[in-house]
Amino acid sequence: MDPMFLAYSYFRRRKYQKCEEICSQLLEKNPYDQGAWSLKTRALTGQVYVDEVDVDEEGIAEMVMDDNAIATVARPGTSLRKPGTGQGMPSQGVRPMTNSGRPVSGFVRPGTQSGRPGTMEQAIKTPRTSHTARPVTSASGRYVRLGTASMLSSPDGPFINLARLNFSKYASRPNLAKALFEYIFHHENDVRNALELASQATEQCKFDDWWWKVQLAKCYYRLGMFREAEKQLKSAIKQQEMVDSFLYLGKVYVRLDQPLTAVEIYKQGLEKFPGETTLLTGIARIHEGLNELDDAVKFYKDVLHYDNMHVEAIACIATHHFYTDQPEIALKFYRQWRLLQMGVYNTELFNNLGLCCFYAQQYDMTLTCFERALSMADDQTLADVWFNIGHVALGIGDMNLAYQCFRMSLASNNDHADAYNNLGVLELRRGHIEEARAFFQAAFVLAPHMYEPHYNFAALADQLGDLQSSYNAVKRAVDAYDGHIDSKELLQQLKQHFSLL
Amino acid sequence: MLVPIFTLKLNHKVNPQMVAVGKYDGIHTSLACATSAGKVLIHNPHKRRLQSEGRMSGGEGDISLLNINQQVTAVESGRLVAGTQKDTLVIGTQTNLLAYDVDNNSDLFYKDTPDGSNAIVLGKLGSLDPLLAVVGGNCSIQGFDSAGNDAFWTVTGDNVSSLTLMDFTGNGQNELVVGSEDFDIRVFREDEIIAEMTETETITALCSMSDNKFGYSLANGTVGVYEKTARFWRIKSKNQAVSISSFDLDADGVPELITGWSNGKIDARSDRSGEVIFKDNFNHSVAGIVQGDYRMDTMASADQLICVSVEGEVRGYNPAAPDMSGNLMDANLEQDSIRELSQRKQNLMLELKNYEENIRLGSGNQIGEYDKAQMGIIPANTQLQTTLAVNSGDEKTPAHVELLISTSNETVIRAVLIFAEGIFEGESHVVHPVSSILSANLKVPIIPPKDALVDLHIKTMVGSKTSTQFHVFELTRQLPKFSMYSLIDPNIPDPKSSVTFQINDRVQRVLLWINQNFLMQEDLECEGNLRVAFMSLRGTGPLIIQMEQNSQMCIKTDNMDLAGDIIQSVANFLKIEDLQSLVEYPTEMETLEKVLVKVDDYHSVRQKLTAEMADHSNLIRSMVVRAEDSRIMGDMKSMRRGYMDLYDLNRDLINGYKIRCTNHQELVTCLKQVNQIIQKAGRLRVGKYKTQVVNSCRAAIKNNNVSSLYKIIRTGFV
Repeated sequence: MDPMFLAYSYFRRRKYQKCEEICSQLLEKNPYDQGAWSLKTRALTGQVYVDEVDVDEEGIAEMVMDDNAIATVARPGTSLRKPGTGQGMPSQGVRPMTNSGRPVSGFVRPGTQSGRPGTMEQAIKTPRTSHTARPVTSASGRYVRLGTASMLSSPDGPFINLARLNFSKYASRPNLAKALFEYIFHHENDVRNALELASQATEQCKFDDWWWKVQLAKCYYRLGMFREAEKQLKSAIKQQEMVDSFLYLGKVYVRLDQPLTAVEIYKQGLEKFPGETTLLTGIARIHEGLNELDDAVKFYKDVLHYDNMHVEAIACIATHHFYTDQPEIALKFYRQWRLLQMGVYNTELFNNLGLCCFYAQQYDMTLTCFERALSMADDQTLADVWFNIGHVALGIGDMNLAYQCFRMSLASNNDHADAYNNLGVLELRRGHIEEARAFFQAAFVLAPHMYEPHYNFAALADQLGDLQSSYNAVKRAVDAYDGHIDSKELLQQLKQHFSLL
Repeated sequence: MLVPIFTLKLNHKVNPQMVAVGKYDGIHTSLACATSAGKVLIHNPHKRRLQSEGRMSGGEGDISLLNINQQVTAVESGRLVAGTQKDTLVIGTQTNLLAYDVDNNSDLFYKDTPDGSNAIVLGKLGSLDPLLAVVGGNCSIQGFDSAGNDAFWTVTGDNVSSLTLMDFTGNGQNELVVGSEDFDIRVFREDEIIAEMTETETITALCSMSDNKFGYSLANGTVGVYEKTARFWRIKSKNQAVSISSFDLDADGVPELITGWSNGKIDARSDRSGEVIFKDNFNHSVAGIVQGDYRMDTMASADQLICVSVEGEVRGYNPAAPDMSGNLMDANLEQDSIRELSQRKQNLMLELKNYEENIRLGSGNQIGEYDKAQMGIIPANTQLQTTLAVNSGDEKTPAHVELLISTSNETVIRAVLIFAEGIFEGESHVVHPVSSILSANLKVPIIPPKDALVDLHIKTMVGSKTSTQFHVFELTRQLPKFSMYSLIDPNIPDPKSSVTFQINDRVQRVLLWINQNFLMQEDLECEGNLRVAFMSLRGTGPLIIQMEQNSQMCIKTDNMDLAGDIIQSVANFLKIEDLQSLVEYPTEMETLEKVLVKVDDYHSVRQKLTAEMADHSNLIRSMVVRAEDSRIMGDMKSMRRGYMDLYDLNRDLINGYKIRCTNHQELVTCLKQVNQIIQKAGRLRVGKYKTQVVNSCRAAIKNNNVSSLYKIIRTGFV
């Protein structure tokens, strides 16, 4: 068989490794074989290709030293930077935060850690437990992106030596330039060179090719030049409407902290591509980020209308129902998800099913679900499963089991702040005041965004007569969640006390 | 006495001329000011007042800052989206224009404006349908609609320094009034210039008033009012007017001109006479004057006048109550008028004394010649003659227009005061020769900086050599428009460049125009074909005006500006409404070609530099985080290393920034040159052809079609 044909066949079947090998042999024979060269770049790119639209975790540097957002104090509900200001969301007392200070969204994806710390020190300290580390930065062209190959060493040097590449020569050949660009951008992850190639190529084709404009925007986005990216994308959309361009433009506006404009862009996209689930999900995610969960659920339901296997939508709706006191409906969604998605058979799902069953009073199912969850759990999730079992145990009044479970949880993850807090409560019930105090302290040092350990600590200190530390702790509790009545009352009481003195 | 109804402090510095007021949520009035470090502050006192009925205060809670991250050059707000009550905030920087919906924290549009944006005005322009944000930059004026589409574009002679929209002609549609750095106020009906007025300095601010009137202020401290093209009044101060506005402060139904000065003074002047009816003082320079219903007071129906100082002090004034009957000044008005009257009495007494003295001398008739001279008595038949002539100059003196003033007898000229706008620095010029060389003749060299019709108001002091008192002769001479050109022998080689056009008029009429507009000893006469040659005294080469009997006219000069001026002047004189012409300017075309190549180069270099800077700044951020990380961990060694690296990288970044700045400056200069060439090409046509040339040039540049650009400039159409 013609080796070139075989290589293509491998490429189409996504057997990139084999394709690359054949191409290398072809190139050894004839180094000027453009077809083989192009195919090899594509195969190498394909090995590491990750969809750019979804991969985006904001690093610490971008988060703390953010100067892209225009308004520093925006009206509530118009900025992603101040979560908790939106309307229509269950209070923090009902819907807890995750370890990283993010309101539980029901679906883990990049960019859902929205808790913005006030100072750099806080930013560096808080999310540094082993489970929640943020990247230092995501914008620099030098960072090692998910699925980037540049750290892998290849035996005979890199395939293409970028430093010796004559960009203007390749830019004038559209058939080679596109493959080369993707190689530089995805495989080499050298954004600056990619940008140069793209800008020369778009010039060569007289600014007539929307594809190059989108690629330029991608480069600008990576470099943190959002305004330039915006310009390129708008011009690309004018030329050719593509879902990808709309999604990217929405992302740009999210970075500029203009969620309403982003929603507007997605809606424009939807006019051209009605029922496009990625666009609908984009809108829903923004509403979720603004904590407007009712709107978010509305759009997630729209997503399900068009694609009833959409895992993210199902998960988010289910979580929403669970936290708004409708565990039965949540249960339905989770079951549907398990049934429809034959492959989904993991810890998280069974854990959630277990919790739903418990709250829907189907106790027979609860423990079975948790057992399954435990049997599949890995180190990452084991602590959470044990914590939830402990929670169930508390619910049925089995304090000993609860105590054991929380201990197990800590055994698998000794940074589990919720477990510390609950252990503290249990110790307090047993009358071990010193232990309780230590547990609370451990809990709020690990998770300063949770109000419970602060309040518990304050209440305990108040009873012990340590009014000063009680006052400090309760103030932190009110800072973390200003709707907590007990904290407020305690604060009031302490203030009165101090003024009497 | 009118006192401020509210005073508050913003506690932020405010950039001069960058203050705007608007209802960004459609209900509550807020103040937007540009402040230092590329930020815009929004002061909204009402959001909180709704919750707690407190007094208005300038506390931090009312102020929100917007990060623009670029040097803000203009701030304006107003309705831009039709069909809503919300105002849009439009912010101009050196390279971009941002229209921003403050309430929703979202952009309407964000546009590149490589020509910069020195002034912004919002509103309807002419018969153009959408509401526009009109932006004045370097030599160009652009209008954007609410979607950011480029709905209007034209060029003007120099950098735009101020803009306003007003109904100039009284036809119910808005015209655009543009003040620019070449001292001209131009009025555009859409993209056609309908009026042009020359002032004496850069026009720093314009504001429309009632009945076709508008106020203006200049960089040299002049403030005045025009009604249509005629100036009503003007005053000059040693301070500079920062901001002007029209507001009916004394509630008489006619708005006054409110001026904020650089020394912190605010005054209101009557629009008819320029008389001060109210003044107040800030401790710092005024930054801006706006009007809006800031108190949201249901009792007061009208807007307030809001004045902001550069230190962030805000004062609001309500219009005066009717019972004050226009008397807004301090109560010691009587004292002032008594002082003024006694001053006048003093002056009259002096004058009377002078007359008595003269009568005594006249009747006496026996005083000697010496006394006569001493008293400044001159023969009754003394006449003063003035001649204007062109002097080509020599090695020592540059070429100039010579004003010769001479008396008809042996009396001498002690001093000459010439007052003329736009010729002398400070508008007036005094010549007083040392007493040893006094004579009956005096030559005054005049070098008009540009071709314009100027009235010279001349005051001459005439007496005898020993006089201590002099007679003053006042007279007015007109300096023709093209005075800096001397007539030469017409048989000289033609300049390379020329403009050819057809006019439907006789040669005699053109000759009449030449005689009126050029400075010549005697009027020209001509039979048959006309050919006249002049030499420019400014060193821009010869100028040849030719006209055939078949009424084809040709102007040959290498100076495109001059050709434009001549065509505009001829068209004006002959009342030609539309004129198309064929243009041959090889040197200008060459320059244009070079400039366009340069622009391309600068653009690509700029893109590279920008990407590099973005990369560096990202790296810096991550390094800061890493260094802080090691600080928190107590690893002082690596923290030190981190900060050392950071220092080096930062230095690189600053160097890169400097390079970029230079690059940007060059780019701006080049773009300005392009705009100026288009403008010059436009001026070689009249009426609709002019508009057509400017618009097609714009289209050609937008499409990067250089060859068609040349063709448009040459022939006037694509």
